[in-house]
Amino acid sequence: MLEISNLSVSYGGLRALTDVSLTVGEGQFVTVVGPNGAGKTTLFKTISGVVKPAAGKITFLGKDLATISASQRAHLGIAHVPEGRQVFKTLTVRENLEMGAYPEAGRAKWSHTLERIHTLFPILAERAQQLAGTLSGGEQQMVAIGRGLACAPRLLMLDEPSMGLAPAVTDTIFERVQQIHKEDGVTILLVEQRVAEALELSDHGYVLETGHMVLDGPYETLLADDRVRKSYLGLT
Amino acid sequence: MDIESLIENVANALTAGITIGCIYGLMCIGLGLIFGIMKVVNFAQGEILMLGMFASLYLVTGGGILAFLGPYIGPFVGAILAGPIVFIVGALLHKFLISRVSGLKTAGSIDDGHFGQLIVTLGISLILQNGGMIVFGSTPFTVRTPLSSSAIEVGLGYGDATVFLNKAKLIACAVAIATALALYFVMEFTRIGKALRAAADNPTAATYMGINVDNYYRMAFGMGCGITAIAGGLMATYLSFGPFVGFDYVIIMYSGVVLGGIGSIMGAFWGGLTVGFVQQFSALVLPPQLQNAMIFIVFLLIVLLRPQGLFGRSAERA
Repeated sequence: MLEISNLSVSYGGLRALTDVSLTVGEGQFVTVVGPNGAGKTTLFKTISGVVKPAAGKITFLGKDLATISASQRAHLGIAHVPEGRQVFKTLTVRENLEMGAYPEAGRAKWSHTLERIHTLFPILAERAQQLAGTLSGGEQQMVAIGRGLACAPRLLMLDEPSMGLAPAVTDTIFERVQQIHKEDGVTILLVEQRVAEALELSDHGYVLETGHMVLDGPYETLLADDRVRKSYLGLT
Repeated sequence: MDIESLIENVANALTAGITIGCIYGLMCIGLGLIFGIMKVVNFAQGEILMLGMFASLYLVTGGGILAFLGPYIGPFVGAILAGPIVFIVGALLHKFLISRVSGLKTAGSIDDGHFGQLIVTLGISLILQNGGMIVFGSTPFTVRTPLSSSAIEVGLGYGDATVFLNKAKLIACAVAIATALALYFVMEFTRIGKALRAAADNPTAATYMGINVDNYYRMAFGMGCGITAIAGGLMATYLSFGPFVGFDYVIIMYSGVVLGGIGSIMGAFWGGLTVGFVQQFSALVLPPQLQNAMIFIVFLLIVLLRPQGLFGRSAERA
């Protein structure tokens, strides 16, 4: 469904990604792990189109994304839940979700998805009229994920949903993401620093280090790899 | 001064303050919209007001296409139609000039494009002023309506004290309130309004939602220009104006927007209303030359006591 081949990205001469390739199949749960500054967020921003690639190709559902503007990509069914949540702070929770449903596909299924979002995150129904900026970090993350779901996405990209959250809240978030994958059949691309939990959920994992894809494979293969065990899982 | 004329003067200042204040309020919404959504400080907003006045003038007087409506309805329809005309002017200005120094193009640059915006909008202001001088000349104009020299007299029930309600200003005030309410409705409840607010709040996240931020900013700039132009058209029915009229009002617009709370679009209306009030009330006790000084004394007091403006609010969790 999403095919990235030999992607390179630079910021003013500074290489952020070098020759990165990645494949996400329909219905898969794919995780990209790696340390700070590895280029994970850059990878997501390039898929969303807010960062332009220097070289390489991204195709989504067979379409080359090079000629498709950033704002058009959401209309294709790519939902990006950005790092640090980035909710619309001055809009109410409900309005945030409505904005998620801005693309045609989201609007068509609005009442159904809203119900689904409220089932997954009941707190959002309670806080519907509250300004999103006044919510706690965990609740804002729920708004961000709900907003991503509202466009009825084919591909849901989650950039570090655990960032800055209490472990208990993170567990809930991971549980919901898994539900979204299993029950709604949404394809998921996840970036995480909480490697163990993230890899456990996924069908396929990639390890990104300083802009290079150093390793990839299914969960079991990664778990068996000495480097992954040492650097990311703290196992010996 | 006996009590009867005191009551009469205060009552007249009150009504004049409300009527003129509502028109100022509408004028301020235009500037507040542009600032609130795009974070662009538009120094050319006074000239946009001037364009609104001239657009209305050319629609209504001479062989204008609205001449058939007559001097009673024509000037107000002309003022409303100045809105869409100047909307187009604003959208074009954004497309060819403002968009190069604002929005996603400059997001993340050192100054977020503010220096460029300062020079570009000042430049537009000067070009429109001097261009206006060439095109329109320097003789003062006014959109004449017999309504501006007739008034409804309301007795106050205290001796002979009477309030004079200028008919032209009264209608202008009603149109201003209706326009402001319509805008409020659009911003709060329509998909376009919500998308505009989302694009203002977080342009990158708005892009992730599929909102074309650049197009919405163009619309916001055009709307901001159009709204101020409607206020200009309304003002043209009761005051005489020339190409340099904008300068007097851009100050009022800025104080109104800051008073209302920067970023609060409807706050700008209340800010403008406050400015109109202060201006009219200061006329009771001060010579007219000091009216603008009075506006700023009140302005400084409010900023001192409430730095976030009258209606500025925080959406951040403390």
